[in-house]
Order: sequence, then C-alpha cells, then structure tokens
Amino acid sequence: MPESNNTAAPATEPKMLKMTINGKEVEVKEGTSIIEAYSQHGMSIAHYCWHPGLSVAGVCRLCMVEIEGNPRLQIACNTAVTDGMKVNNESEKVKDAVKWGLDFHLINHPLDCPICDQAGECGLQDQYMAYGKYTPEMAEKKVKKHKVVDLGPRVVLDSERCILCSRCVRFTDEVSKTNELGIFNRGDRAEIGTFEGKPLDNNYSLNTVDICPVGALTSKDFRFRQRVWFLKEHNSICTGCSTGCNTRVFYNKEGLFRIKPRYNKDINGYWMTDTGRDAYKFVNKEARLLDARVVSNGRGEWIAPKLAARKAGEALKGAGKSVALVVTGQYMNEEYEALLSYFKNEVGTDRVFHWINNPETFDSFDGLLARGDKNPNTKGLLAEMAKQGFTAQWRELAEGLQTGAIKTVVVAGPENQAVFPDLKAKIMELSKASKLVWLQAGKNDQLEALTGDVTLIPLKTYVEKTGTYVNYAGIAQKVHKGLTVVPNALSLVEVVALMKGEELPADDTYNQVGLGRVHNEFTMVRGTL
Amino acid sequence: MFQLSEEGKAYVKSELARYESKQSAIIRCLYRAQDENGGWVSPEVIEHLSQLMDIPAAQIDEVSTFYTMFNQKPVGKYHVQVCCTLTCGMLGGRELTDAMMKEAGCKKLGDVSPDGLFTFSKVECLGSCDTAPMLQINRDPYTESLNTEKGLKLVRDLRAKGGK
Repeated sequence: MPESNNTAAPATEPKMLKMTINGKEVEVKEGTSIIEAYSQHGMSIAHYCWHPGLSVAGVCRLCMVEIEGNPRLQIACNTAVTDGMKVNNESEKVKDAVKWGLDFHLINHPLDCPICDQAGECGLQDQYMAYGKYTPEMAEKKVKKHKVVDLGPRVVLDSERCILCSRCVRFTDEVSKTNELGIFNRGDRAEIGTFEGKPLDNNYSLNTVDICPVGALTSKDFRFRQRVWFLKEHNSICTGCSTGCNTRVFYNKEGLFRIKPRYNKDINGYWMTDTGRDAYKFVNKEARLLDARVVSNGRGEWIAPKLAARKAGEALKGAGKSVALVVTGQYMNEEYEALLSYFKNEVGTDRVFHWINNPETFDSFDGLLARGDKNPNTKGLLAEMAKQGFTAQWRELAEGLQTGAIKTVVVAGPENQAVFPDLKAKIMELSKASKLVWLQAGKNDQLEALTGDVTLIPLKTYVEKTGTYVNYAGIAQKVHKGLTVVPNALSLVEVVALMKGEELPADDTYNQVGLGRVHNEFTMVRGTL
Repeated sequence: MFQLSEEGKAYVKSELARYESKQSAIIRCLYRAQDENGGWVSPEVIEHLSQLMDIPAAQIDEVSTFYTMFNQKPVGKYHVQVCCTLTCGMLGGRELTDAMMKEAGCKKLGDVSPDGLFTFSKVECLGSCDTAPMLQINRDPYTESLNTEKGLKLVRDLRAKGGK
C-alpha cells in the first residue's frame, strides 16, 4: 500500500528487524540493505561498486551472500533485509562465486602494482589477498586501453586499471551534479571518459580519486610522490574555509603529502573540496617562516622566536591605547582567549580589529561544502571579541595610523596566505605604524623586506598544535597536535605566555601529542574514506 | 555548428513528451540527428542534442558510443552494411564485401570511397538468413539474395544514381 502524504503524522520510530549474519544475531532498521547491515556491524564483505555515499549500482557482483531459503546467491548491496533473514558470506558457495567474480575483474587488469600509485590502499589488492584465484585461468591477451588520460586539471585516468565500478560516474552525477564523466563504448572496450571539451573540472573532482577502488583515477598532485605505506595518518580539520570538513592528513618526516576527507555526517559527509586539499602546502617547511626576524635601525637579524616574543612583550607592557591588535579568523579558540585577554588586561587597549580577507564574497556558499568565509574559526573569534567587549571598526585603525594615535600594531596574520587576496595591501597599510609585530606561520618576502621597526615571529600551523575551531554553524571541533614541522615555531598561546614574561613548560602541556593518530585501515573502512 | 531542422526540433520535443524519463528518448533523437547530419554523430550533434534535450553531453555520448548503429566517423552517401554472420558468411558475404569495396574504391572497412559515395561495414546478423547473402544500405529495406555479380552491379547503379 502506498504511504500517505500526510506530513502532519507523528514521526514513528523505524521498525527494527532481527537478522542473522554469519551466525550472529543482529538488529537493523527497516529498509537497510544487507551490505549496510554488514557495514554497521563491522563485518567484512567483498565489494567494489557500493559506496555508502552513492546510489546502488550493483555492477561489480562481488558482494554475494547466501540467503537461507533462497536457492541462488544474491548481491548484498541491492537486497533489502527482511525480518528473520539469515545471510552468510562465508560458505564455500559464496567464496567460490567471489573468487570467480574477482577473476573476471582481473581479465583485463594490467596487474602493474609495482608502479601503481594505489598499491597499498587498493581494493583489488585487498580482495585478492582474501579471495584470489591464485592460478588464473584466463589465457586470452589483455585488451589494450588508454593510459595516462588527462581527465582534467587535477585527475589522471589509467583505463586499463579501471574495473568499471562506476563510482566516479555516480559521484559526478549525484554529488557534484556536474555530469562530466561517463562510460563510453561497450563490452571489453568500455572506458571511463569525459565528453570532448568538457573536462573533469569542478571543485570536488578529487573525491573521485578517493572513491576509486583501484589505481585508475589518480591525483596529479600526489601521484608518484610517496608510497602510501611510508605515510602516517592523523585526524584533523580542514582550515580551508568555515565549513570545517573533517580530514585526515598524510605525512612523514619530510612533511605533509596529502589530505583526504573523513566521514562526519553532520558536517561534510564523505566528501571535501579540492581547494581544501591544498591546505597542506602552506604547512610544509619550504613555505614557512623558520625563525624570528627583528629589524631595527635599518638592520635585520634572525633570532630565536622565544627571545623575539619576550622582547616584543617588554615593549607592549602597559603601552595602553597606542597599541592596536589585528586578528584574522585563522586561529583556535584557546589562542584567541589568551591573546585577547592579554591585550585587554595587560596591554590595556581596546583597539582590536578583525581582518576580513574577502568582504565581497564572505557570505557566499556553493551549495555543497565550500563557503566564502575562508577562515576556519571566524565564529570563535567573534565570540571571543564579544566576550572581551571589543567593538572597534577597521576605519578607526586607519584613522589612528593617520593621526599617529596608534604607534604599535600587532598582527596575528593569515596562516593560509593564499586565501588572503588583500594581504599585500594590508601589509602596506599596517607597516605605516612606527612599530610592527607580525605573527605568522608562512614566509612572505614582502614582510621580510620591510624596513623600520619590525618583528616577525613564526607561528605553528593547525597540525602542530591542539585546540578548537568553531565552524560556520557553531559546531566546535577539536584538533590535536600531529607532528612538528618547524621546531622553533610558537602557537599564539605560547607567544602570549612569553610576552607576559612567563616560562614555557618543558613538557608540551599546551599540546596533547598523538591523540589524533590513526592506524591503517582495511577494506571495509575504505568505503568511508 | 550543427543544428536540427525545425521539424527535427519538433520531433525531439514530441519524443521527450512520450517517455517517462528524458533519457529514454535519446536513441530516437540520435537516429534523427544522425540522418540530418549526413549519416554520422559528430560531437557537435551531441552538444546540440544536449542543449535541446537538457541532458548532459556525456550521457548522450555514452549511448551513441554503446550502439554500433551510430557512426562515430563520417560515412559515404551509401553506408553499405553487409551481413557476415553464419549463413551470409558461408554463402560468400565476406568475398562479396571485398569485391564491392574494390569496385567502389574503398581500401578499408569504414573508409569513405574517394567519390564520397560509399562506406562499407561488416555487420552481425540482420535476420534474413533465408535470402543470404544480404546487405542493408543506410536504413533502407534490405537488398537480398546477392552474389558477386549482383553486388558489383549494385555499386555501379548506385554510383550512376548518386553521381547525378
């Protein structure tokens, strides 16, 4: 019977169904498919084409299960659970079916794992270890297809490795809704591709690389740069915009190599933007300010950041309203609290200004994830400013600099300089102050070239410290310290402590180390990657 | 830039109204557009249909590359499709193709003859085994019960007809 359209009807609890998976009794909601039941209860099942964030295609035929009372095997992704259902995927019958299914997938697969970027996190490798027919029975020659197909600015396709699971096609149809990808031709000549003149060029294109279960789609940015088993993983938050997508950063002792999304149903689902994936580049050493720079009397020298912070603090003490603080929305709640209360109580100024990087597009939203506010913590900053009672307008800063009422400017500058199009102009404007203290993680030639009384202090980036970001919707998310890239860099909390004249604790109490560290995952969980 | 005729556009509209989903109308519209474009589906055809039907170009191209009835390369005025499946093959379909291609001046299957009149392809069973060997020109009714002589005559007749 069709359901009525009466929306006023009270929401009822979904009916729970009892079922047995591999001899274990479990309960699932009505409408769950068998593969979802496996996934919810952490049991492994072979699959390629099914992805929790996409529609069901049922093309890989690998998630075969035996259902009691049913003479034929069924695919778990497209079969709904019924009450009292008994399924298992461990019988010989299932294993044999999966074995043959896998062998068919491998008919035209080149097996070039030693030179393939996906090796180490490849669905095909994982399944082959579990279900492989180690003596292949296919004697035919493999079909030659296109290698190194340039699909778009960020993605490369190797057609021979593709198993035509259609995840990427469904992604562009259903999630990004840009419809660039399709499966062209037929049978063993079928290939993923784009229509000519319409490349895979959207801000979500790299998600197709994540969900590709084999090495067919690879990221131009990451390919051939590292073997995945040499990378460590650490849970983090994307600081590329105010959405705050949950991410996982991959790093080794040379720095960060890539960022992938992590599932969070309230914030980003399974996906993230391509621009957010670039948020590792400003963390690496070659983009960083490594030591503090102090310029006075036209002579500049590089000194230890701690010393520079102490010296700057001595000059600020009790300086009152001649000091202005300029803050960007790029830092953590804990840092704002320390910094703003220090300026209010110890320096004694109410001239605290919020630097908005792109006022024209600040409130824009692309409908999926990317927001115009390119700061991870604007909410946190505004809340802290309101708490401390800072209401100064940017205009007052310009006036103060003009009249000379503001002599010293302290800037907590951008961590990610790429999203500050007005950076150059702001440096010009703020360097009019007779004394400038600029706190920033990244190096900037314009800042280093400044003459006059200037102090540059290197800061830590978001993977090097522990703290909280509040996203556009007011959801607070904590990130933990994962690694150290620039050993000398300080967090704002540490800078403030030094400015006050305190000593830093020897045991890194500001940063709890290692809490975000994750261990490598296997097949079942990669669906959530 | 390819454009459907006014009747063609009206046809596409009526086909779109006929089916529950827009995608169902793709094959019929592609047929129509192929006929109007001189026998093949060029990327411009797909782009035009994509705009007209409001379906992403990649989805239309998926259909056009899946089915062999849609030609991906230009063809001659007469696209000669000779059946070479079992019965026709045993009764000389392949030899017939070779002879006709030589007469028409085509070097390879799928090539357009120098005068622009002929393109030959071998196709799978067209379902007329009792009159083998047989062929189909464009989408016209079948030409049946052939032998080499009849085939050569057919090419000459068509050339005389088409050359005008």
